[in-house]
Amino acid sequence: MTSMEKRLQKELQAMTKDPPAGVSVNTNSLSSSLSEWIVDIEGAPSTLYEGERFQLGFKFTSRYPFDSPQVMFIGPNIPVHPHVYSNGHICLSILTEDWSPALSVQSVCLSIVSMLSSCKEKKLPPDNAIYVRTCSKDPKKTRWWYHDNSV
Amino acid sequence: MNTATGTSSPSNDDRQSPNDDDQNGTYECNICLETANDPVVSMCGHLFCWSCLHQWLETRPNRQTCPVCKAGISKDKVIPIYGRGNPNPQDPREKLPPRPAGQRSEPETSNPFQNFGFGGDGNFQFSFGIGAFPFGMFASTFNLNDGRPGPPLPNSPQQAEEQFLSKSAWGPADGIWHVAAFIVERHWTGGKSIFQ
Ligand SMILES: [Zn+2]
Ligand SMILES: [Zn+2]
Repeated sequence: MTSMEKRLQKELQAMTKDPPAGVSVNTNSLSSSLSEWIVDIEGAPSTLYEGERFQLGFKFTSRYPFDSPQVMFIGPNIPVHPHVYSNGHICLSILTEDWSPALSVQSVCLSIVSMLSSCKEKKLPPDNAIYVRTCSKDPKKTRWWYHDNSV
Repeated sequence: MNTATGTSSPSNDDRQSPNDDDQNGTYECNICLETANDPVVSMCGHLFCWSCLHQWLETRPNRQTCPVCKAGISKDKVIPIYGRGNPNPQDPREKLPPRPAGQRSEPETSNPFQNFGFGGDGNFQFSFGIGAFPFGMFASTFNLNDGRPGPPLPNSPQQAEEQFLSKSAWGPADGIWHVAAFIVERHWTGGKSIFQ
């Protein structure tokens, strides 16, 4: 078993045994090498996304956890949020330059739930139209500039 | 996607085999989550396998921070921990940690954006000079075409791979400034992401 698989096994074990509120791994989606996951998340109570369900797709390289996972919203329901493009790409610094190998699937999911929770107005990113038309399929290929972590 | 069949996946039982030796996690490495092997502790008190920490420090040689708390960290500022049972312990930092295959295969290109605060793992090429337009120009061009197939970008031929810089700045609508700028790598390749 590679170190990436070992680490992901540990994470999976922890998340299935003691899942955080509103976050659940879709175990049917797991590939045998664990290199792709789908995680179901729920909008937190008393937020704009209360009652909504979303899916996050995770892809890991063999260099995980030194390499950040590719994380994006997938499926039919993409949250309308100033940091979430309509193609599912997420502008969140921990997914690229602020990634740390001490982060995990769980901490990424909780950060995304929290990012949704602090939203005050459901609106697309202002540059959504041009971004989705021109971006790479891989959100990690976008060089994001993060200046605002308050939404 | 090839992952939903279920037949090729290990069963859940295989995955949940307990690991008895590190139940409470106190001495788990913060990177591999296993009981730390050749343990070192940072000045900020965070425990790692030396090989794990070493690999992380090599991943970001220009920004060496503790994976847990982002405090500064370096080879010389971690303390090896020696438990009982080894009369002549060797400082793990003197050993060359085993490196995983492929780690050194990426050339360490110097990244012109490093001074601008980019992570700089060297995988990207940047081109200044084309397309550094204020967002407003694009916005007006594109909003007119929303909902219809877009024309080729102004003054950019449909090259297979072209990068340009787009910036947008707005606010302070809610009392905050939000400047989201991105550098886009254009891939007009066919096919779909497995996530779409
Ligand atoms: Zn370790
Ligand atoms: Zn620390």
